[in-house]
Amino acid sequence: MDAPKEVQPTGEFTCQLCNLTAPYTYYGQKPPYTRSIVLLEESYVMKDPFTPDKDKFLILGSHCSLCRRSVCVGTECSLFYSKRFCLPCVNENLKAFPLEIQEDMDKKKPQEKSSSKKTHTKA
Amino acid sequence: GTSGPGERPQDRRDRNRTEPEPERNRNGTGAGRRRLEQLYFHGQDPISSQDIPNFWKFFQRLRLFQSLRPDREAAPEPSQPPPGLILPPHYDPRYRINLSLPSPDVGCRDNGIPLECGWEFRWALLHYLHFQQRQSFSRLLRIQRERAALPIARYREQLLDAVAQHQVVLVAGDTGCGKSTQVPQFLLGAGYSHVACTQPRRIACISLAKRVALESLHQYGSQVGYQIRFESTRSPSTRLLFLTQGLLLRQAQRDPLLRGYHILLADEVHERQLHGDVLLGVLRRLLPHRPDLKLVLMSATINIPLFSAYFGDAPVLRVPGRSFPISVRMEGEPGKWERLDPMPYLRVMQAIDHKYPAEERGDLLVFLSGVAEIGAVLEAAQTYAACTQRWIVLPLHSTLSVEEQDKVFDVPPPGVRKCILSTNIAETSVTIDGVRFVLDSGKVKEMSYDPQDKLQRLQEFWISQASAEQRKGRAGRTGPGVCYRLYAKSDYEAFPPYPVPEIQRVALDALVLQLKSMGLGDPRTFPFLEPPPSSSLETAIGYLKEQGALDEAEQLTPIGTILAQLPVDVVVGKMLVLGALFGLAEPTLTVAAVLSVPSPFLRPTHPNPDWTTARKPLESPYGDPLTLLNVFNAWVQVKSERGGSSRKWCRRRGLEEHRLYEAANLRRQFQELLRDHQLLEDASEPSSSIRHRERRELHRLWRSHRECEGRKRKLLRLQDGLDTSSGEEEDGGSHRKGIDIQDVKFQLRHDVSELQASSSLVLASSQLALLQLVLCRGLYPQLALPDPFNGSRRDSEQVFHTRSKASVVPHPTSVFATNPELLHHKDLGCILHRHQLLAFVSLLETSKPYLVNCVRVPALQALLLFSQSLDTNADCSRLVADAWLEVSIPKAEEAVRLLSMALQLRSAWDQLLQQLLGKLERSPSQWDVAKLSRRLLEFLQEKVPYRLHQLTGLEKQNLYVGPQLVMASAPHLQGLFPGMEMIPDEVKGGHRITDFLTYNCLAMDTDLYNNCLRSFWTCPHCQLHMPFTPLERMCHESSCQPPPEEEATQSSSKASSLHRPYHCPICQQDFTFTPTEILRHKKQHH
Repeated sequence: MDAPKEVQPTGEFTCQLCNLTAPYTYYGQKPPYTRSIVLLEESYVMKDPFTPDKDKFLILGSHCSLCRRSVCVGTECSLFYSKRFCLPCVNENLKAFPLEIQEDMDKKKPQEKSSSKKTHTKA
Repeated sequence: GTSGPGERPQDRRDRNRTEPEPERNRNGTGAGRRRLEQLYFHGQDPISSQDIPNFWKFFQRLRLFQSLRPDREAAPEPSQPPPGLILPPHYDPRYRINLSLPSPDVGCRDNGIPLECGWEFRWALLHYLHFQQRQSFSRLLRIQRERAALPIARYREQLLDAVAQHQVVLVAGDTGCGKSTQVPQFLLGAGYSHVACTQPRRIACISLAKRVALESLHQYGSQVGYQIRFESTRSPSTRLLFLTQGLLLRQAQRDPLLRGYHILLADEVHERQLHGDVLLGVLRRLLPHRPDLKLVLMSATINIPLFSAYFGDAPVLRVPGRSFPISVRMEGEPGKWERLDPMPYLRVMQAIDHKYPAEERGDLLVFLSGVAEIGAVLEAAQTYAACTQRWIVLPLHSTLSVEEQDKVFDVPPPGVRKCILSTNIAETSVTIDGVRFVLDSGKVKEMSYDPQDKLQRLQEFWISQASAEQRKGRAGRTGPGVCYRLYAKSDYEAFPPYPVPEIQRVALDALVLQLKSMGLGDPRTFPFLEPPPSSSLETAIGYLKEQGALDEAEQLTPIGTILAQLPVDVVVGKMLVLGALFGLAEPTLTVAAVLSVPSPFLRPTHPNPDWTTARKPLESPYGDPLTLLNVFNAWVQVKSERGGSSRKWCRRRGLEEHRLYEAANLRRQFQELLRDHQLLEDASEPSSSIRHRERRELHRLWRSHRECEGRKRKLLRLQDGLDTSSGEEEDGGSHRKGIDIQDVKFQLRHDVSELQASSSLVLASSQLALLQLVLCRGLYPQLALPDPFNGSRRDSEQVFHTRSKASVVPHPTSVFATNPELLHHKDLGCILHRHQLLAFVSLLETSKPYLVNCVRVPALQALLLFSQSLDTNADCSRLVADAWLEVSIPKAEEAVRLLSMALQLRSAWDQLLQQLLGKLERSPSQWDVAKLSRRLLEFLQEKVPYRLHQLTGLEKQNLYVGPQLVMASAPHLQGLFPGMEMIPDEVKGGHRITDFLTYNCLAMDTDLYNNCLRSFWTCPHCQLHMPFTPLERMCHESSCQPPPEEEATQSSSKASSLHRPYHCPICQQDFTFTPTEILRHKKQHH
């Protein structure tokens, strides 16, 4: 079968909080897969593995704007609010964030104990 | 989503207050949408065209969501922003999105979209893209978590160490430990390449390749592939290949060192399929010759020492399984083996209804022994289901159509459970999620093989303990479960520990051929994991010799070499070669292919009269193989004329289309094989540029189908369980957007126009007769004789006898079961010329012994042409074929004539076959073939009346005269039968004339081997006039052949076998003359 050319991975992305690892093929703000979308942060990106569509990409993570740790975009590890913040940094500076974010963080805490899975599986 | 879709606060307020209708229309439907789509969606970017409807749905939901959400006062700003954290002054959900969409280049003002609408649309689009990101990311996260949670994940290092240090490693892990998906990935990750992983089932190859590609996030992309018969995604970049055991064996036939692989994983070796066992044997022999090759065996935790010891105490890595606790209820009375009663099954359904609240999900999987049992329970269970409205009852077995089978994966509505009635197919082959209850009958129907009669028998047995555990385990895959067993503990303890390996209970013809062709020597000394019974090995070897596939030294003959490469029954393979000789390659290819797949005729529990009517025009009065030929040809016509609508055509006739696709694939494989051996001319190149473009498009369709997730689960309705044979209107899962993916594959694989051309050939009656003869020669000695009293029996009681098995009946799908009059003659047991026999493809015993796939042939001609032993009395008026059937021809003259004809035909036919198979220098000439065909047809036209009789046991005992003390010498014969030795037969008596013909050995006739039997006869060809005994006359006839009409033109180039040196005593000259020419020459001197 004549298969499409593979993009070789540039490296392996690892989330320093949850240890998620995945190969990424691009780091930056203008992923090669799209002409119309621009990222608002420098991100680790791979081709979306869940669709045959070649123009779809998937953002894996980026660096926390405060501590520079590499973190995945999962809601248990980081949040984006005009910039990327890892959750430890958010919690440290919770007061600096708007109420909406603070509430979200409060909601998250009890949940995390009971079933941490839920926040992720529910998109 | 958890957080609300974002938007600028003013926009929302505005819209909530007054939303102008035109605007809604513009964004909601019609021109506005199209305009926006034009502006924002170009090509596949940022969302693909298939995605656009989803986006608009999302858009509507988003609007609804926001109109419901109460407005919220702007929150007070945080009092003192800490240093280093500069955040936007006002909260806005859009700041949570890390994507942005720069405006399209088109001037924003003039694009006809009101500004607010443009804003709203763009925010919705951003939301949608963000939503997709989160969806994909959470999938990725889930996959990684699931992988990490698999029991085998903790053994990665141990496994890699073991593989590095040892040539063979056994991984023994229970269901759910993840070995099949993870071990290959561990190896790839560790840098191994050229990895092959064998599976017993084709379907597993496909699903594992898909799964591994997905789990590795397509990191290896096209490097993970699968290869099964007729289908492959293998490419030069493939590093990991899933393939069937059978296919790897075939590859070993071509390359005994399997040089293409560095590491082999043999999965599910505990299942002990024939191919699996043979493969292990082949690999064991191979390992010393390939010290660099690594072998990883993977099995359930069954019989571990057997495998480990077989490979020189290979190290074992034991991995615990992951199963939830299952409680077992023994419901049967000890030692009871009773006929099927649906009551216990209903009681369990009742107990479940009673004990477990309907809102607690969990389906019931029932293991029954066979299709009939499923039918019986199905009926009762459906009645119960209709009363309670709490069950959907679905059957599952391999003879159901693919669509029907797929129903078991669908989801029942809330409060309703699925009850799946299955054969042991659900034990390993099919995994159904959501099963919480298992009900095990403890029985299984298995094919056993009787090498004596070459009879396949489907019998019911108790299962093994291993199967019982496997069945139980199906209840604990997703949560704690319950297993009800309809047998007692004492029964369980009496079960055999493991199922009988396949090698112990099937015909070994194919296995022996394969071992021979791999040059593995004598199968009797092959180091099997557990050797098969020597009787079935001997039967197989004997049978292959009988069929001419092995010679006396048990080496492969030319035809055997071809047969070894065919994944089909020996008799079917023989037909192919025979058909090629007579220019009947096209129909024989088709017949061989359809005979090698399971019957395409669906057999519902209740006969469907519409199907019967619709199938009628396809029925052939000559027999089932020809009916199947008609079905296939008609199907190809429908496909080439109407493409995808063949599915409907099949449904109308109760045909499983899948089988026809399989047959088409097989047919092509046969065709290629015949071409490889120069038995068939090469195809012409049909491809034009249009065809190329067409193919490219088809390729694209297939690829996109492959890449998409498989069939989506559907929601079942209560009535889905009730009617199982409807479905005229429903379309199968793969029938998306009017594209029939099976049809796409078909068009890709086959040259449809070529196939159509060959399937539209109408066979002339002479060709049909030859085809029947070809089939019969292939099938010989699988013949059955109609019982002499069939004429006075009812249609359903027609009985036949084979040489070794009395009272067998044609399979209910056979044309001879529905139209027995095809074989009747008004005056039975009498002397007539129209006796017929049935040649059959296989004998299958279920409730009765059945003849499967029968074709009728004229008895006398078939016996004279094909029997391996033919014994005669002195005047040849009595003939006994294969010490089984007796033919009495009242007119001895005619008997001798026919026998003589048959002798000549047989030798001519064999000679041409040997030429065809390259044993002789010459290849068969068109002329010789045409001559043989003509003479065979003439032979078939013979109308000599005779009596046909099956010998009784007593008659068989006193059949021969036995060795004679005083051998009558036959001085006259020597000159008349040049090159033919007359050997007195030391067992039967009489004289052996050819390897099959023994003359004058039949007892109960006065010994007439003396001069008084000679009568004057004139040879029509050489005009020789003298007294002959029947034998002398026959001998003379076979050496003195009619003058070839057209041979004059060709005779110079090829020396006929009839030519011999002749020295004329009168003119003292030397010639090379045929007997006729000698006579002509002599006449000149008179």
